[in-house]
Amino acid sequence: MNGAGPLLEIRNLTIRYREDDRRITAVRDISFSLKLGGSLAIVGESGSGKSSVAGAILDFLGPAAEVTGAILFEGQDLAALAPAQRRRILGRRIGAVFQDPFTSLNPALRIGRQIAEPMVQHLGLRPAEALGRAEAALQEMGIDRAAEVARAFPHQLSGGMKQRALIAAALACEPPLLILDEPTTALDVTVEAQILRLLSRLRRDKGITLLFISHNLGVVRRLCDEVAVMYASQLVELGGVDRVLEHPAHPYSKGLLASRPPLAAASRGSRLAAIGGQMPTIAKPDTGCVFAPRCPFQEPRCNAGPQSLTMTPDGRPVRCWKSDSLGSWPYQLVMPSVAPVFRRGDALINATELSKIFEGRGGLIGWRLSVARGRPRLHRQPRRVAAVSDVSFSISPGEVLGLVGESGCGKSTLGRLLLQLLRQSGGSVEFDGADLARLPAQALSPFRKQAQIVFQNVGSSLNPRLSVGEALERPLALFSLAKPRDRIRRVEALLEMVRLPAAHRNRFPHQLSGGERQRVAIARALATEPRFVVCDEPVSALDVSVQATIINLLADLRDKFGLSYLFISHDLAVVAQLSDRIAVMYRGRICEIGTAAEVLAPPYHPYTRILLASAVDDDQAPEPTAGRLAGAAQAGCVFAARCPHKLGSLCDTQPPPLRAASASHTIACHLDTFPVSLPCVSVDRAAVGTG
Amino acid sequence: MVARLTDLTVATIVRRRSRLPASLIVGGALVLILLTIAALAQWIAPYPYDQMHIRDRFLPPGLHYLAGTDEYGRDVFSRLLFGSQLSLALGVTATLISMGIGVPLGLIAGYRRGVTDELIMRTLELMMAFPPIMLVLLILAVTPPSLMKTAIAIGVLAVAPIARVTRSVTLDLMSGEFIEAARARGERLGYMLMRELLPNVWPVLMVEASLRVVFAVLLGAVLSFLGFGVQPPAADWGLMISNGRAFVDTAPWISLAPGIALSITVIAVSLLGDGLREVLDPRLGSGR
Amino acid sequence: MAAYVAQRLATVMVIMVAMSVLVFLATHALPSSAAALILGQYSTPETLAALEHKLGFDLPLPVQYWHWARGMLQGDMGQSLEMERPVAPILWDALGRSAILAATAMTVVSTLGLTLGVVAAVWRGRWPDHAASIFTYFGVSLPEFYWGLVFILVFGSTLHLLPTSGYANLSDGLGAFSSHLVLPVATLALTLLAHVARLTRSSMVEALESMYVKVARARGLPERLVIVRHALRNALLPSITVLAQDFGFLIGGIVAVETVFAYPGLGRMLVGALERQDLPLMQAAILVLTAVYCLANLTADLLYGVANPRIRYGGSID
Repeated sequence: MNGAGPLLEIRNLTIRYREDDRRITAVRDISFSLKLGGSLAIVGESGSGKSSVAGAILDFLGPAAEVTGAILFEGQDLAALAPAQRRRILGRRIGAVFQDPFTSLNPALRIGRQIAEPMVQHLGLRPAEALGRAEAALQEMGIDRAAEVARAFPHQLSGGMKQRALIAAALACEPPLLILDEPTTALDVTVEAQILRLLSRLRRDKGITLLFISHNLGVVRRLCDEVAVMYASQLVELGGVDRVLEHPAHPYSKGLLASRPPLAAASRGSRLAAIGGQMPTIAKPDTGCVFAPRCPFQEPRCNAGPQSLTMTPDGRPVRCWKSDSLGSWPYQLVMPSVAPVFRRGDALINATELSKIFEGRGGLIGWRLSVARGRPRLHRQPRRVAAVSDVSFSISPGEVLGLVGESGCGKSTLGRLLLQLLRQSGGSVEFDGADLARLPAQALSPFRKQAQIVFQNVGSSLNPRLSVGEALERPLALFSLAKPRDRIRRVEALLEMVRLPAAHRNRFPHQLSGGERQRVAIARALATEPRFVVCDEPVSALDVSVQATIINLLADLRDKFGLSYLFISHDLAVVAQLSDRIAVMYRGRICEIGTAAEVLAPPYHPYTRILLASAVDDDQAPEPTAGRLAGAAQAGCVFAARCPHKLGSLCDTQPPPLRAASASHTIACHLDTFPVSLPCVSVDRAAVGTG
Repeated sequence: MVARLTDLTVATIVRRRSRLPASLIVGGALVLILLTIAALAQWIAPYPYDQMHIRDRFLPPGLHYLAGTDEYGRDVFSRLLFGSQLSLALGVTATLISMGIGVPLGLIAGYRRGVTDELIMRTLELMMAFPPIMLVLLILAVTPPSLMKTAIAIGVLAVAPIARVTRSVTLDLMSGEFIEAARARGERLGYMLMRELLPNVWPVLMVEASLRVVFAVLLGAVLSFLGFGVQPPAADWGLMISNGRAFVDTAPWISLAPGIALSITVIAVSLLGDGLREVLDPRLGSGR
Repeated sequence: MAAYVAQRLATVMVIMVAMSVLVFLATHALPSSAAALILGQYSTPETLAALEHKLGFDLPLPVQYWHWARGMLQGDMGQSLEMERPVAPILWDALGRSAILAATAMTVVSTLGLTLGVVAAVWRGRWPDHAASIFTYFGVSLPEFYWGLVFILVFGSTLHLLPTSGYANLSDGLGAFSSHLVLPVATLALTLLAHVARLTRSSMVEALESMYVKVARARGLPERLVIVRHALRNALLPSITVLAQDFGFLIGGIVAVETVFAYPGLGRMLVGALERQDLPLMQAAILVLTAVYCLANLTADLLYGVANPRIRYGGSID
């Protein structure tokens, strides 16, 4: 083992996949090195090839992959080793954590056993001893009830706990290198922040070397010293994380950073700087720069031949011959707009004390066998979950209300209640003054025409068996919005409205990219000429560079048609970009509601404060105490169990009053003075937001 | 409606025509041949199935009688050809019956959930609590057997598995948001089932249908073998095997030939089913 | 877990009751009156009516059902119309012999079938997989009775190796006992074996391609450990359900196989009873066979509940 050389060195790594009779190059000629104790992030969007790099090191890729180049770990070329030797190194010297904690754990084995296993295999420990160490490892990961968790099965743990267990398993044999492939992508924002803090601590305390793969630049900043940016199978930039994020050299890096919405309230006319087009799936660098078609700085020389790496003045490799002379990514022109005035009186949608309680399934499954006073009793015990409790707000015509919260807080349920896709358990929804619950069934149809929804999951929001044209024609036919012979023209008009070529009419969803599918979903929602659209996490499943274009599109459509939105997202920065007002939701209740500027500035509800802190990695912010997000209904403040500013039993027993911080800004809290911001959260700086 | 669905399936297959699995091609070809034979049996067969040649009894396979003759001097080969009509008719009819009842049940159970779902599932569970053959025997033993009745009995038996598969695929689809989008438009039940759900369930059903045909053909053969299916002098393969039992030492071809015919049929349909699954399933990603 | 067990037990009881009603109703739809059968050529309208009254056939159906069901529960299965003997003893004897056949066949099917499936999955794409695939293809494409005949032809008539019919008691010697069992068991097991092997293969392949197996390999665990402790444990879970389902096919197979090999078990008895429309025997045989199937399913469900951590330790610990 070479003490002086790098721990991990990748030289000219190229990975090709054989698919049917074609060869797809996923990674082309990548080189980088990682020294002991350092941490490198590989950043790129889906399809850039970043996961394949990790896969090649870990021998994860399967027989269809052809790997060429050198993967030198501690001086040895892993690719050249015999499988048995390589396996030994993998377990003992390299740990790995993957994206999806739900499938990475064996559902049939207890957690402790899975963590102990590599120790038994590689370190030769006895099972009992290894289990003991496993428990200690879990404790180190910040899990209080380590013994209980070690005895538990994966399905009994939450996502965050599972990921902690997986990190413990990866570090079981104390390897010098830890590879993490998008480890927090599947987790909630606050949980993500906790995991990142854990990883920082581990780095500090144990000096572990990290190779971190992500699409999320904000996350990367907190954890890594260096960053490598990948685009369409190639390395386009490599350098210290601060340099790259403050002064990106490659146009793609510039574009990626510029297209992130800042964590600040935006004026109605502002649009995000976006990267047009999409990443090519089969890159042909031999004909020129892969990024050229999307690059605002491109010129004929860019397409003359393959682009090689050059050096920036400060010694960073970058794959752009013009990088020295480039300015910043061109910003979108801010459209002239008048700040609208919304009068509360003429609300389009009015929600009053809405609540929704889900009962567990009845039938035979709801029965529980219990022993009470020494005698067994069989009784019904349906599980009740209060998804939404006592929510009231209104949305005026043309207004966008942003709804922000983590998974399980009930925001999706709330969106569906407004559209009457779910029946509320209590309270009312009024649309244009009419109480929807009281309308007879046939009167609901005109309402449905005026209120539509766009979903998060681009994979399943379009019927895979219907072509785009058929999917768009259906609403036209259903609501008789166009005569049969006019429908095709209307469909083409809709496609144009969402900036898709008319020819896409005949395509099927599986032939479209994620961004294109979302545009079709938006077109479908707008086909009925609605006045109100619920946008349920419409950009969360999209790549960062595509998110900006969709957000801009939604803003343009809002202005053009005077639409109102309920814009739901877990991402504060995205919500802030589009919303006039923002509501923060936690476990079924609205904690804080006000204009975007008011909510993002102090005073804050304690939960809002934590959300903001997670978004910008504020180490000074108080951490929420551990606990689950969703659960049964209870008296008192829903956030009490996790609130760092808890006032004691008052918060547990009494529901918090609504305090008015200003005419339009309400906070539901027992506190008299609210947490005020610390210097990190400043609304002028274009901070890098959450992913 | 059915035309549109078949259209979809054919389109899916044609789209991948360069990479069709061998099982689909071989299976499909064999099935086509079998169907042709069954359709044209009257004209292909050298002799009518019930024509007895008393002097030519127990003849081994030869030039005049390709598969030999049986105890009544009937040409086994001709009887095989006519038997294919019975077996295929049974398989297809039973499957159509089971799908005609099972698919709507599964769709409704999966779509509606709640009480409707529980009710349907409990009934299906009850039906599946019987060992398969018991249910059919029960029906056939208490009424005079006939081909139609056998088909209906087997069809009813297969309703439960088809409904269960349909339901489980429907449940998977229900989590897809295009269903909610349709509901947000206020679509009715009929439209939801027919235009949104069914086209997506169809590929899995095609695969399942081929399995059901195999099952029906085999079960029908067992029933005839036991004497509860088609009655003599029909040229049913199971019946032929049963008749030939007594002579298995001296004239084995009487039993063996229909067995070979049966196996070719079953293998052909199985291959077709496997091929369909390879082509259609990965697109849908439905687990079985 | 407790809720799961309770639910299963409740379901089984409901099914048993519903089944008995169905069996009773179906057999009472017989075209020929049981009484006419007994009297044979001596039946006249008067004697018919008298006998029907004596046998209780003129009582309303629910009452008849109640008498019959009560009798069943007390072990009185009525009197065989044809043999004019109580049904219960002959039925239990026959059940015993069928049970030997079924138990042996199931053992063979589970051990060989699971092994074959696992081997095919671990070596998928290579020759063991192809060989297994061909074998299973033929296994599932031909019904048991056909294989039975082939075996009789080959092993009995041609090679004279094994007896092709009947049954020998254990008291007649282990050799005779087992030699009578070989062919019927082999026939029964063949088709089911193929079925189990195929399904095990596919669930094993799914386990081998799952993320947690890949993760285990990435941790450097030896392949054998990965296959056995990680993949196999998860793959065997669905196999329990498959085996239970196959038990149903086994019962069907028993009917056919016992007929082919003239094995004096319950299946053959049932066929005889159906042919001769021997009502009490029919009812009892069908009921018993279905009850056995129900119990087998219940056992499988309980086993599954124990083996699946999601059911055994439900809920979360947060």
